Amino acid sequence: MLGFSVALRPDVLWYGFLGCVVGTLVGVLPGIGPLSGISILLPVTFGLDATKAIVMLAGIYYGSQYGGSTTSILMRIPGEASSVMTCIDGYAMARKGRAGAALCIAAVGSWIAGTFGVVMLTMIAPPLAAFALRFGPPEYTALLVLGLIFLAYMSSTSLPRTLLMAAVGLLLGTIGIDNLTGHFRYSFDIAELGDGIGIVPVAVGLFGLGEILSTPSADVVGQVITPKLRELLPNRQEWRQSAWPIARGSVLGFLIGLTPGSAHIISSFLSYAVERKLSKHPEEFGKGAVAGVAGPESANNAASTGAFVPMLALGLPTGPVTAVLMAALIVHGIQVGPQLVNEHPDVFWGFVASMYVGNVLLLLLNLPLVGVFVNVLRIPYSYLYPLVIMFCVIGVYTVNNSIVDVWIMLIMGVLGYFLRKFGLDPAPLVLGLVISPTFELSLRQSLIMSNGNWSIFFGRPISFVLFAFSAVLLVLALVSAIRKRADWRAKLAEAEAGEG
Amino acid sequence: MILRADHVAGGVAIAAALAVLAVSGDLPFGTIAFPGAGMLPKLVCGLMILFGVLLIARAGQSPPFAEISWSDLPHAVRVLGVTAAAVALYTTLGFIITMSLLLFVLIALEGRNLVAAAAFSLGISLSTYVLFTVGLKTPLEQGLLGF
Repeated sequence: MLGFSVALRPDVLWYGFLGCVVGTLVGVLPGIGPLSGISILLPVTFGLDATKAIVMLAGIYYGSQYGGSTTSILMRIPGEASSVMTCIDGYAMARKGRAGAALCIAAVGSWIAGTFGVVMLTMIAPPLAAFALRFGPPEYTALLVLGLIFLAYMSSTSLPRTLLMAAVGLLLGTIGIDNLTGHFRYSFDIAELGDGIGIVPVAVGLFGLGEILSTPSADVVGQVITPKLRELLPNRQEWRQSAWPIARGSVLGFLIGLTPGSAHIISSFLSYAVERKLSKHPEEFGKGAVAGVAGPESANNAASTGAFVPMLALGLPTGPVTAVLMAALIVHGIQVGPQLVNEHPDVFWGFVASMYVGNVLLLLLNLPLVGVFVNVLRIPYSYLYPLVIMFCVIGVYTVNNSIVDVWIMLIMGVLGYFLRKFGLDPAPLVLGLVISPTFELSLRQSLIMSNGNWSIFFGRPISFVLFAFSAVLLVLALVSAIRKRADWRAKLAEAEAGEG
Repeated sequence: MILRADHVAGGVAIAAALAVLAVSGDLPFGTIAFPGAGMLPKLVCGLMILFGVLLIARAGQSPPFAEISWSDLPHAVRVLGVTAAAVALYTTLGFIITMSLLLFVLIALEGRNLVAAAAFSLGISLSTYVLFTVGLKTPLEQGLLGF
């Protein structure tokens, strides 16, 4: 009730609504992901209190999952990477004259999955946070190692590639003053680097600018199929065909959302594979199967909500978006982690309740206003990408009023461009950068506590279990690599390559 | 032997790690009982070298380097050059002038109508400035001219 009393306050409601609208636009527009959208608008939240800030930024995140389906269905261009699978059957439905029905199923599925995710978040996050209060430095070290290994295991690229990227992120995270000894590390007499490299310039550079550098305007073409409003409602058979895929997608998406990595992308891919496997008519997939839209769209929304559980309960970001959201809360003086629910119940519960409200808002927004959002797609890319660059510069500069941050963004943009060329995923780099300070501090504190005895990591039950789980994942990844079996991750890589 | 993408990626990772190690000389590693400021960076550099070697060893799975398409490179260089110039001028010229120029040059380079590009650039820059400074109370760089 505390949450709803916060979330339904007119001012909080307004910022939630604003976040949902911007998020939908971010999802609709190809080339701008939720990460860029959140990073660009981060400075705008500095004048707000923490609750309004996080409600608005989270609205952008889950709003983008709704919006991403619009371009997938109407143009066969995924506005968001998690909408890749929706392109296949969503666009096929649109070509058969069922664009409105596909959009409606995607929106309703997203709403059900999003709401299911928030219900689960409400139930799971507080007890998980209470459990995490038992964590000391060795447990945090083990948890962060597990996070990195899990990320590598779930990644569509190979284990060494993902871990290499995470190592680069960890290394970048060591730039600045060492908290324990006061040593300056790799700051090269640049005062601004004393505080380290921020997440925002790195994330915006790698994902926002990097994407623009590798997308010439000649490559962005597409025909928009405009649905008529009266065709929005699916028929009875389409509703029936979408019911179970939505239910399965919601559960699957939420569970995958709890794990580190590109959960919203992986969940939509897995959901598509599951639906195709379970279908009595698998031959219809690719030709406009309703389940091929309902399942993946539900899964990616449930996953984006599931990703908030480790963030809120453990202070562990599972991807770059949750990392930037955590950074936003830290800017507002809120330490994310197990203490959040007790120390800032208004922020925690207000945020959770705002997601219930936000999902309803998005359902109301997405269907009647689909024509408006489609018109945004008519802006030529040659006008759009300079605009995005301008907002990237504003977003990065205004965080610290630092031009050094903008140069870092440019350097990261170049790095992002080359990473794409060599098929390396930039997400683990951002994750490595985010966890680097906590990882280093907890590792060094553990070693100091134990007087240099490494057995501290294996003598405590929680850290032992976490390390054992990491070892199992490593073994599984190695076995998979040795067998060179083309499993779902290889197929995901193909799908992602196809998107590019 | 065919030079593959992972040969290059692994080689760059190893070179970067060695370069970081070379500039880490003054950072103490410390002891296991009391780790110093250089412990994590040096350990991570070691891991980067390891993963770089693994990438090179398994490079056969990656595409040949010669097959990587660089058709978007001219676009990337153009965008990067214009953006870098804008960043260099940003604090001197201020938001409105710099961003108007950035938008105009990028749109003009795409072969669009110059008058429309100029109107769009100036209109967007002005409205964004007003939105941020007045509507969102987030001051943007004013520059020498005061706006």
